[in-house]
Order: sequence, then C-alpha cells, then structure tokens
Amino acid sequence: MARTATAPGAPTTKLGKTAYELDDRLILSPWLRRTMNKVYPDHWSFLLGEIALYSFLILLLSGTYLTFFFDASMREVVYGGSYAPLRGVEMSAAYDSALTLSFDVRGGLFMRQLHHWAALLFVAAIVVHLLRIFFTGAFRRPRETNWIIGVVMMVLALLMGVTGYSLPDDLLSGTGLRIISAILLSVPVIGTWAHFAVFNGDYVGEQIIGRFYIAHVLLIPAILLALIGLHLLILVKQKHTQFPGAGRTEHNVVGTRLFPTFAAKATGLIFVVFGICALLGGLVQINPIWLWGPYNPAQVSAASQPDWYIGFLDGSTRLFPPWDINFPGDYTIPALFWPTVVVAGAMFTVLGLYPMIERKLTGDTAKHHLLQRPRDVPVRTALGAMGLTFYLMLMLSGGNDVIADKFDISLNAMTWVGRIGVIILPPIAYAVTYRICLGLQMHDREVLEHGIETGVIRRLPTGEFIEVHQPLGPVDAHGHGQLSYGGAPVPKRMNQVGGARRAIRGFFRPIEEPVDVELEQQRESRGVAAAESERELTPSGRPADGGRPQEPRH
Amino acid sequence: MSTTNPQSEATHDEGGSPAGDPARRARARRMSKHRRRLANVAGLMTALVLTGALYSVFAPAQAADDTTESAAEAAGRDLYERSCITCHGNNLEGVPNRGPSLIGVGEAAVYFQVHTGRMPLTRQEADASDKPPVFSDEEIDQLMAYVQANGGGPTLPSGDLRDGDLAQGGELFRLNCASCHNFVGEGGALSSGKAAPSLQNANDLDIYTAMLTGPENMPVFGDNQLTPEEKRSIINYVQTMKEMPDPGGAGIGRIGPVGEGLVIWLVGIGALLFSIFWMGSKA
Amino acid sequence: MSVRETRPGSTGGADVPDPLYGGPDDDYTPEQLAAMRRDELDRLGARYDGVEIVHVEPGPEPGSSLEKRAVRQVGLAFTLAGVFAFLFVVVYVGSGWFLPDWHWLITEKGWSALFTPLLGLFMGLSLGLLGIGLVLFTKKLLPHETAVQDKHDGSHFDRVTAGAQLVETFHNSGLARRKVITRSLLFLGGGVGLMLIMPLGGLIKNPNKGNPLGTTPWADGVRLVRNDGTPIRPGDQEPGSLETVFPAVPAGNSVHHADAATMLIRLRPEQLAADRPRTGQEDFGYGDYVAYSKICTHAGCPVSLYEQETSRILCPCHQSQFDVTQGAKPVFGPATRALPQLPIGVDDEGFFVARSDYIEAVGPTYWNRERI
Repeated sequence: MARTATAPGAPTTKLGKTAYELDDRLILSPWLRRTMNKVYPDHWSFLLGEIALYSFLILLLSGTYLTFFFDASMREVVYGGSYAPLRGVEMSAAYDSALTLSFDVRGGLFMRQLHHWAALLFVAAIVVHLLRIFFTGAFRRPRETNWIIGVVMMVLALLMGVTGYSLPDDLLSGTGLRIISAILLSVPVIGTWAHFAVFNGDYVGEQIIGRFYIAHVLLIPAILLALIGLHLLILVKQKHTQFPGAGRTEHNVVGTRLFPTFAAKATGLIFVVFGICALLGGLVQINPIWLWGPYNPAQVSAASQPDWYIGFLDGSTRLFPPWDINFPGDYTIPALFWPTVVVAGAMFTVLGLYPMIERKLTGDTAKHHLLQRPRDVPVRTALGAMGLTFYLMLMLSGGNDVIADKFDISLNAMTWVGRIGVIILPPIAYAVTYRICLGLQMHDREVLEHGIETGVIRRLPTGEFIEVHQPLGPVDAHGHGQLSYGGAPVPKRMNQVGGARRAIRGFFRPIEEPVDVELEQQRESRGVAAAESERELTPSGRPADGGRPQEPRH
Repeated sequence: MSTTNPQSEATHDEGGSPAGDPARRARARRMSKHRRRLANVAGLMTALVLTGALYSVFAPAQAADDTTESAAEAAGRDLYERSCITCHGNNLEGVPNRGPSLIGVGEAAVYFQVHTGRMPLTRQEADASDKPPVFSDEEIDQLMAYVQANGGGPTLPSGDLRDGDLAQGGELFRLNCASCHNFVGEGGALSSGKAAPSLQNANDLDIYTAMLTGPENMPVFGDNQLTPEEKRSIINYVQTMKEMPDPGGAGIGRIGPVGEGLVIWLVGIGALLFSIFWMGSKA
Repeated sequence: MSVRETRPGSTGGADVPDPLYGGPDDDYTPEQLAAMRRDELDRLGARYDGVEIVHVEPGPEPGSSLEKRAVRQVGLAFTLAGVFAFLFVVVYVGSGWFLPDWHWLITEKGWSALFTPLLGLFMGLSLGLLGIGLVLFTKKLLPHETAVQDKHDGSHFDRVTAGAQLVETFHNSGLARRKVITRSLLFLGGGVGLMLIMPLGGLIKNPNKGNPLGTTPWADGVRLVRNDGTPIRPGDQEPGSLETVFPAVPAGNSVHHADAATMLIRLRPEQLAADRPRTGQEDFGYGDYVAYSKICTHAGCPVSLYEQETSRILCPCHQSQFDVTQGAKPVFGPATRALPQLPIGVDDEGFFVARSDYIEAVGPTYWNRERI
C-alpha cells in the first residue's frame, strides 16, 4: 500500500522496491509470510513422499522430451536405421521410432533410460511412503481422505507404468499386452464387450498403442496432477503429523520453518533424486528393446516378466490353480479372472478402506496428529507384515522361472512352493511380528521401570552379583521408576542419556574434536569457574604451566 | 581253352606223323591224352586264378564284414569301451533306463554331447548339464569317427558357420529359439528341473550340431526345416549378440525387469534412504 | 481523510491510500516496526502465524575454522557440480565434432558405447553434488531453529455462519417446497448425464457378431506355410521337431491374425505309440504329424517350449504345461483347456493343408466361449 512507500523504513534497494511494487498489485505478503512460517517436522521418514513427488517431476520433464520423438502408430514399417540386426525387419512405427530415438538421436537412449528408471523409482517410493504411513498410523482421522487419494494415485501410477512400457511395442511388453487382452476377456458377462471396446475389436487391432499413448501422456497424468495437488493441499491444511516426543502435543507441530531450512533441504532432495535417476539412466541399461525385437504374437521369450510393480499380478496368475467355473447354459468364469481382477481389486479395495476398517474394529474415532511407533500397535503392525509377506510371495513367484533357472530348482517345485507359501507364510509372519512387537513394548516398559542396564556388575556384600541400572527419573520406595510410557522412544543405552559424554555432532566426521568435548565435560564436572577454564591445558587436561602457582586468580 | 575236342584228337593227329607200330602209336596216343588233360587242368586253374584275382581287384569292399577299421575308429572304440559302454551298450544299442541307442545319431550328436561335456554323464538327473569336456579334441574326433561308422547319421557342417544374414537370423531365433533360450540366449527353465542352457559358452559348431541333432528335450531342426543357410544366420545372430556391448551402460545380465527391479530397490531406494537419513533427523 | 476528486468522469484520486488493513496494522505503527531489529520482526510475524521459535542454534562462528571448513565443503560441492555439468555439455556437444562420434554400431566398444554412460555419470554427479551442497549448507551453515506451531481446530463461528448462509439461501430459494422444479431438475440431471457420456458409445462393438473371437483364417484347403511363406511337405521335418506355421493368406504371419499361429509337430515313434488324442479328434493329425494352436488357452502367450522327450509343451508366461500325446491337454499350471487342434491333411501337390478351421475358439477362455 502507498503507506509503505512513505513510511519510515521504506524499501531503498532495487530489490526491495520491486518487491513492494509486486505486493502493491497482488498483495502476496500475507500469504507469503504465512507459508514461509509453516512448521514442518523433520523426521527422515517424512521425506519419502517427496521422493515420489520429485520422481514424478522428472517423469514429466523427461516424458515430454520423449513425446517429441515417439510415433504412437501401429502402422507396419520396415526398419532402415543404424541398428544392423533389425535392418529390413518389419515392425510397427512405434517400435521403429523408439529404436530411432535410442540409436539415431543424440542422447536419446539416455533420456529413454532416465524416464524408465524414474518410473521404477516413482512406484518404489510410493510403496515405501505407503508403508511408512501405514505402520505409523498417519492415515487415522482426519487424514483418511488423503490416504484414499494416495491409494488411488498408487493405482494410477501402476497404470501409468503399464501403458508406458507397452508403448514401444516390443516383444517383451507385447507379451504383456496379450495377457492384458486375456484379463479383459476373462471378466464374466461383459468381458468380451470390454475387450472389444478397449481394443476396438479382436486382439491386436490397430488402435491400442494410440489409446495407451493418450492415456499415458494426457488422461492419467492430468488426473494424477490434480490428485497430487489435492494431496499436498490437504497435507498443508491439516499440517503434517509428528512422532511423540519432547514438547509435542496433539495441538502443535514441532520442527523447522519452511523457509529457509525446510525449503533448502527439499530442494537439495530434488537434486539428489534427479542425480540418482541420471546416474542410473546412464550407467545401468534398462529395457533394451533392440534385444527384445518387435512384437509378434507368435513369438515369446523365456523369462518374460512385467516391470517389478506388476510382478505380484504375474505371480498370482502363475500360482492360481486351473479352476474354471462352468455354469449351466455353457457359460464360464475363466480361471484367469480370480488371480488378476479379483486379487488386485480386493487388495486395493482393502488397502483403500483400511482406515475405516481399523476405525470400526478398534472403535477409535478420535482425531490423531501424533504418530504411533509400530510396536505400540501390534495388531496393525502384524497385519501389515502379513500383507507384505503375501505381496512379496506373489512378487517372487512372478519371477519363479528366473529363480528356477539361476538356482537350479525345478520350475514345477517353485510353483508349488509359491502356492503353499502364499497360504501359510502370512499367518506365520503375523504371529512372529505380533510377538516381536509385544516383546519390544515390554522392554520399553521394563526400562522405564527399572532403568537402563549399564553393564556394570557389582558384587553385594551378601555375595550375589547384580547389574547396576540407571533410573530414568524419580524412583519410589521400591526403586521402581514412576515415568509412564509416552509414545516416544525410550533411551536404552547410557550414551543416549548423556552417560558417556555429550554427544559429538556430525554425520560422517565429527564437527568438534572429541578431545575438546571431553575437556569441556571435565571442566563442567569439576565446577570450574569460567575464568579458570581459560587456562592453557595440554591435550591430556593438565595445566600447561605445570601447576605452578600463578598470579592471584581473578 | 583248348579248341580241339580231346576225344577227337586221334583223327586230327592223322596228317604228317610217321606211321609207327601200333604199340608206339598207342603209347603216343596215351601220352598225348595225359598231356592234354594236364594242359586242360592247367588251363582251368589259370583261368580260375585269373578270375579270382580280377574279381578281388574290381569288386567293391564289403564294409559290414570288413574287419579292417581306420585308426581313428579303433581309437574311438577304445574310448567308447572305457567311458560310454556302461550306458550305451556293447553295440551302441543303448541300455534301458540308462542311455539311448546311438545308432544313427551321427558324429554331429557326438560332437555336441562330448564337446560340451554333457557326456560322459556324471549322474542321472533331469537333464545333462554342461561342464568342461573330459575328452580332448582329438579324442572327440575319434569318438565321432567310431559312432559315425557304426550307424551313420548327421555329419558335421563345413565352412564358415556364421555366413548368414544377421537380421534373418534374429527373426528365426526369436521365432524358434527364444522361447526356451531367452531373447539373448541367457537360457531358461523348462518343466520339472530341466533347463534350456545359456548359449554363453557355446561355439559355432556347438550351436549348429545342437540344432541339427536336437539333444535331449530340444526339438530337432533338420536341414529341411531350417536350411544350412538359415542355421548359419541364426549362429551369426547369437554370436554377434554375445559379443555386442551394451550401449546403455551395465547390462545387468540382460534378463529384463527382474534385474531392473532388484537394482531400483537395492541401489535406488538404498541410496535415497541413506540420503534422507543424512538429511532428516531421528525420532 | 484526504482530498476527494469531485469532477464528474474523473478517474478518482491520485494515489489515495486505501484504509488500513486492520489487525496487526492496528497494533503496530510503521514507526514502531521501523524501530525493531530484523530478527525481532521475524519472530513477531511468526508469532502472528502461531509459530513460536523455541530454540535457535546459531551457525558456526564467523571466521572460525569450523565455518571455514564448512564453507570450503559447500563451495567444493557446488564447484564440482558445475564442473561436471560443463563436462556433460562438452561430451554432449563435442561427440562427433572434436570428440569421437556418438553413433553406436553394434561392433563398437569404444567411445560410442560409453556415450550414454558418460552422460548419465556427469549429469548424475552434477545434480547430486548440487543437492549435497545445498543440504551441507543447510546443516552446517544455517542456524538450526526449533519452531512450534499451534494447530487450530475448525472455528465454530465459521461453521455456524457458513452453514447458516447455506441453509438460509436454500430456504429463500423456496426449492424445498417448489417440488416441480426439484423433480424436473433430477429428471434432467439423469438425461444430461446420460447425454454427455453417450458419445463414448462409439467405442462399443459387438463381440458376438460374426464370432470374430472364435474364428481364424484357417479353413479347408488353406496351406500351412512357414514364416517366410514356403509351404511344407511331410518329409521336411524330423521326428521330434516343432515348426511354427501360419495360414497361407495375406498377412497370415502378422499381428493382423494374432490367433493364427499353429505348431506343426512331428511325433517320434515312441510318442506316436503313446498317443491318445481327444475324442472326436483322432483323425485330425496326418501320419506322425499333429498340429495344435500356438496360442495358450490361459492368457494367450505363444506356447512354444516343446520338450520332445517328455512330450510337454511349456508356456513361458505362467508355466502351463500341455501333453502333446494326450491331445495337448494341460497337465500342470494354471491353464484349464487343451490347446485346440487343427485338422490337417495333404493336398494333391503334397503340401500340408488345413482341413477346416479350428473347431473351438483359439486362445484364452471367456464368458461365452462354449456357446459359439
């Protein structure tokens, strides 16, 4: 406002004046200051979602570059480019353009690989982030909406991956395309109609690559962007959760302000993620489509797998027994329907509705802004371990022919191992995890009550040996601690309560000299006055002047 | 060979001989008869011997009944009787539940099995695994000669085994071979413990003889199904792929998404987890 | 409070200041704010946003060796990041110019095979060091502050007033009692909604018309040909062999006829002796030849892996195994249906022909597969 122009302390520098002009027109400063002052908790596991966000950014940028060169057409062409083993071979224009990008565009192969590695990282980061949210209970009220948005985004990310890697129309992804066709066909009643709608007729048709392309570059990214925006908006509005600890309550957030600390670290993370994707994109080969060859429905290779995030569906398809359901009137529900549509549908539905399920089962409808340590919710943690075991078993079974080949195990045996393992291992995982959680909880409470085990053994006059325990707080008449568990980690070692010395700061190398820290502690313990502590000391702590009488001390 | 009738020599002898007494005439008659008989027998003998000699020169050699072997075959038979006879029988007829008959498998099959070390078999299992060959090249030649001589079969090809079209080889490989041996010949699992081996250690002739003879569970690709030119183009493709570097960086085994998934979790997520431990704080 | 422009049609006062914003502007005059230090202003603003700066650990002492070391590290990280970025540019631009060519031919193991790895290495190091430098700067040179921000529950005032406005407006509109309007709105809602998604009907095609899923180009008299188009005689294959064959129609071996690929298998004598074909299909073979569809009945991959000694055909996708001496019925794995068998014969020129199309639908099962 004009006031600022004439008030004392008005901007004098060029930058200041520009800022004032901007704010005069747009009145940004309230929003800017409020945003900059927002406090974000600092725990490392809160950065996982950001990894997913930044990989998505990399995908957008590298993907846009790829669209300049890719031809999403299934028109048959004859390859005439620089890769000799395919010269003269008939292929789709899509595959031809992908080969041209790899071999005849400067840096094209690097960009293709960067895009694909970033895609794998995107889904992996989403999964790790989801696990963090699940095991710490961050999905509880009021954050159920954000959880559902997250699960929907994960499914969309999977769809992005499938449509993306199918675009080059190579033999590996084309085999996957055939399986997608079979999955569509397997849906009861409407399956053939759904297939004919998606493929514009019988397999393969001439439309599918073009339709995948528009889904991959326009439809799904648009929905994803909108959902990401919503996801972040809700996060900022509700404020981030935090672990219980000193000064943390359900009604505050303790951490660092957005500007400058959090923004600087987040920007640093953007570049680290980008850097890792670039390193992988250049140094490790991914999806070498020239080795796979163009798609031909009469050809296939041993060890054909989809990208890792679809591996669990490949596994469930391999393991499910040959059980067709035949109805009177010659109708059939194909066996393929259950391990693909039903398993995937059930998994994602249960996952998406989990906050409501847990609310119903625990009766906990309160708002929670403080997280829980996994050990403190043994049922949820054990259920999560069970689900994870089931998922991992399916994913490993998706690669069971590679495992059979590399480790000299019978392929048929691997199938049976998968079938049996997927039934019996999850309950075992549940039981084991549950007991571990209980054990950890009991140890926490034991340390709170009896203090930290110092490792110092003392012999009593009566002859017995005891271990000296360091109490964490005031003790009652029996020597038992009176602190109750607060949800925060309980110190279990003496150096966590400053028993050894003040902790030396620094991640890779100490910031301070260890000797300096020790000296400082010795001085503190001797209650030496400040003036005296300025006396010259040798590294071992003795006075440099040999302790000779000094001038009268001041 | 005598043209005169010995019985009628009396009448032929009439002209020009002195008329002797009847005794002398009888004696002369008796001596001529003997002489003539001797001459006839001698003539017959000569004829027989001549016929036999001519026959033995011009008649073809009888292989089956021929008791003479070449040196290589003899050495091969020695090797066979030491290393192969237990499972493949005294006359290469095979032993039930141990080894198949080798009659008609040809030197190509012997080359493949012995040069890749599959034979001699160490134990009966799902399929014979390749290992360093037990026999030297010369010994393999001898075994080949022995088996080929005792039943015939597909023979080794000659000439440059990579003399074929690279692109055609790729197409044929993907159509006929990749389903068991994988896109780039990394190998793959078959049912119940068997495996199609990796082609990494196979030389040109190993691949050719394998296609030609269809060892164990591998189908046979006869020369009318895959012509020798087509076989050469496939070998050209396989060997070129093996020698070809990876332009996109480390090949990580060229097995596709399984390797890539491992790398993204171990290297990618691993490195990033380490980074965020460093950036963030602990609880 | 100031001169008001009264001439009609004028554009208003020149730079008349708006009324004050209110709120904190009432509490602090510009003079007061000008008298405060910068960090005091910072904390003041934070307090207004509900943020209390609880503790600040200052950065290292200016001039101390600790600071110098941190500055050196950050500077080194940024400089190296720049160096690697320029190296990226040099490699990218220079390849083919003053550096060896980047075009890779399959026999090249040198620079052209290293082009992509070098690009990735330099970009990765550059960006990574940039990120590391930023984080180092934050951790070692910026002051570490611990801040606490209050959370607020939703304002009761806001809820009540917003809700009241909504309900009042609805009440004033009279829609609650004007049922004709609401009901007609519902009716039109259904119609308009349907209308808007109707164009998607162009995607719908009838899969049962003409039975495209259940027919292939195979028919009586269509020759079996190899991938290169040559026809096949019964003497061409050895016992224990498999050849992929296609119908001799235009584009028979292309993606346009994805269900046509067939496996022509010549059985060995032992297999022929053990052969137990499916009922009704005993005469589908020819001599020791049998022909089965190559498209797996589980999920459509080409079945392909023929184990001539165990008579199994293994599908590499999900490990279904079909026994070729039992009419290619599945003996392991998730497939439920036998592979369809193509009835074959030989034409008068001695080449293999099909005697009809497959008698069942080829490929994966679907809802009404049996009915067509």
